[in-house]
Amino acid sequence: MLLCVTHKRIYRDANGGSRLAEYCVETRDLRREYLNRNFFGKVKSRTNALSGLNISIKYGELFGIIGPNGAGKTTTIKILSTLLLPTSGSAFVLGMDVTHDLYRIRKRIGIVFGGERGLYNRVTGLQNLLYFSDLYGVPPSVSRKRVPELIEMVGLTGRENERVEKYSRGMKQRLHIARALVHDPELMFLDEPTIGLDPAGARDIRGIIKQLKKDGKSILLTTHYMFEADELCERIAVISKGNLVALDRPSGLKKQVRDITLVELHVYGDSRAVSSSISELPSVSRVFSEDSGDRTIIRIQTPDGSEVLEKAKVIASQNNVRIIESSIKEPTLEDAYLRMVEE
Amino acid sequence: MALEVSRIQVVKASMVLTARNFFADPQWVIPSIIAPFVFTLVALFLFSNVTGPILLYAVLGGGMMGMWGTTVYGSGESISFDRWNGTMECTLSAPSPLIWIVLGRVIWNTLEGSINAIFILVIGFLWFRVGVSLADPLLFAASTFVTFLSLSAFGTLLANVIVLSRKGGFITNGIEIPVYIATGTMFPIGLLPFYVGAVSYSIGPTWGIDAIRKAAIGSYVGQLPFSIFVDIAVTIIITVVYFAMSSVLMVRVEKIAKRNGTLGDF
Ligand SMILES: Nc1ncnc2c1ncn2[C@@H]1O[C@H](COP(=O)(O)OP(=O)(O)O)[C@@H](O)[C@H]1O
Ligand SMILES: [Mg+2]
Repeated sequence: MLLCVTHKRIYRDANGGSRLAEYCVETRDLRREYLNRNFFGKVKSRTNALSGLNISIKYGELFGIIGPNGAGKTTTIKILSTLLLPTSGSAFVLGMDVTHDLYRIRKRIGIVFGGERGLYNRVTGLQNLLYFSDLYGVPPSVSRKRVPELIEMVGLTGRENERVEKYSRGMKQRLHIARALVHDPELMFLDEPTIGLDPAGARDIRGIIKQLKKDGKSILLTTHYMFEADELCERIAVISKGNLVALDRPSGLKKQVRDITLVELHVYGDSRAVSSSISELPSVSRVFSEDSGDRTIIRIQTPDGSEVLEKAKVIASQNNVRIIESSIKEPTLEDAYLRMVEE
Repeated sequence: MALEVSRIQVVKASMVLTARNFFADPQWVIPSIIAPFVFTLVALFLFSNVTGPILLYAVLGGGMMGMWGTTVYGSGESISFDRWNGTMECTLSAPSPLIWIVLGRVIWNTLEGSINAIFILVIGFLWFRVGVSLADPLLFAASTFVTFLSLSAFGTLLANVIVLSRKGGFITNGIEIPVYIATGTMFPIGLLPFYVGAVSYSIGPTWGIDAIRKAAIGSYVGQLPFSIFVDIAVTIIITVVYFAMSSVLMVRVEKIAKRNGTLGDF
């Protein structure tokens, strides 16, 4: 294929699309700028929503993009799903260029947006699914079978003939996922699918996402909940203000913040000398102490929790300070994330 | 196997969904029944001294206005509906060209408009005893049909404007009255200044409505000095041109919206 001359390993798959052997999504220096215009159309300011994003997602992978509001997650999803043009850089989806092969890409991807959007509320759930089946050119003989299966899969059996406006927020989101599956896409883009859901509703959605992964779909999920990315994703890209700040497996991301392992000591007695001695230990980055009733809590930030704890115990006994309890807190992914996006 | 998206499947699905949306909202009665009814009533009061063909002219005017209203409004609104309903992106992310989706909607809206027109005629005939027979029922049906088609086509052109800008709603609201006038729905075109007349001739429905009147009223001297067959032929030609322009424009509009990032605005 002419469009893909820059790629080395390309073969034609059964659908006639050219396809990279390894990656279902690949972006190169992807940039997107929005022009904010005033009433008369004059450019007031520019927003760099994406400033040179490079990610590659493998076939069958569940890949997460995490970032705070305004980080550029939706912009990325829109570009990849052919709804928005990049300002510069390139993006390939299933081996096809997002700026050229619109319809061929659209036939093979499913898009889920979070929030209340994307459904016709005045008609029933079933009618929504049949409508989108037609829009995707699914033969009626196929959709007659597939749509009930999808309704079953997202747990809406028995409610499919009710108008969507009567659905709960969670039911709408599940219907929205079913909607994105009417044409059995091989790649799914899920843009904050659990946003605004109660915990039970969000858990249902995560269950469905796991099922999709089991069914062999490649998935790009965006979220701003780290625990969600941790629970679901094989690899996570952390983005902030349009920049990639980290890309790793969840365990790797945790390692990056090892130095914020927290050693906590609860002590009786005058602990000031202890605190200052601990803060002079080589591997300690910071020490905080706080009075709490009859005791003092000393918190020590360090990459070497257990070693520092042993040394701290020695220092305490040298100073006749009694340790009531001690603990080591490994950093959570949430800590890692917060630190990365705050930097 | 790659899915081949069938145009007919898309147009039909879109039409059915629009109809379902329409009936799901009980407010549909107001623009579809009450408004044309009021228009007819007013027309009849204005022409209360006249009888026969002229009265039929008035009633047809009211009926056509009913069609126009729902078509122009409906086709515009059915797109802006997607904008505030948040379905714009889902609709556009489907692998079918937007023109087929829009066409389905617009056909429904026009169908609904022409049902209004028939409703008006029935009121006129039964209630106000306007006329008793159409001069040529067959040609009347044919010219109503092509007018209906040209209204659809005109609706698709407007739909482009709606997608392009959130100011689109403003444009359709503003265009409705001039269109009533320019097509001779309200007044004979002869009364209009020349340059407005020129605009009138380039609008398909102008020819169609004249054809409808010629078919309905035997003694009617057309606003356009041509035979009814010429009227119908020109309506069809203009309609085809509209659709062609629409589909080209729509591709363009989608590109611009994708470049500006205005697809999802609402
Ligand atoms: N259509 C638009 N016009 C102008 N600015 C936009 C538009 N869409 C998004 N932005 C801006 O681009 C940045 C990234 O937005 P977005 O991709 O929606 O972030 P996220 O989905 O991660 O919250 C934000 O600063 C946002 O305000
Ligand atoms: Mg977003």
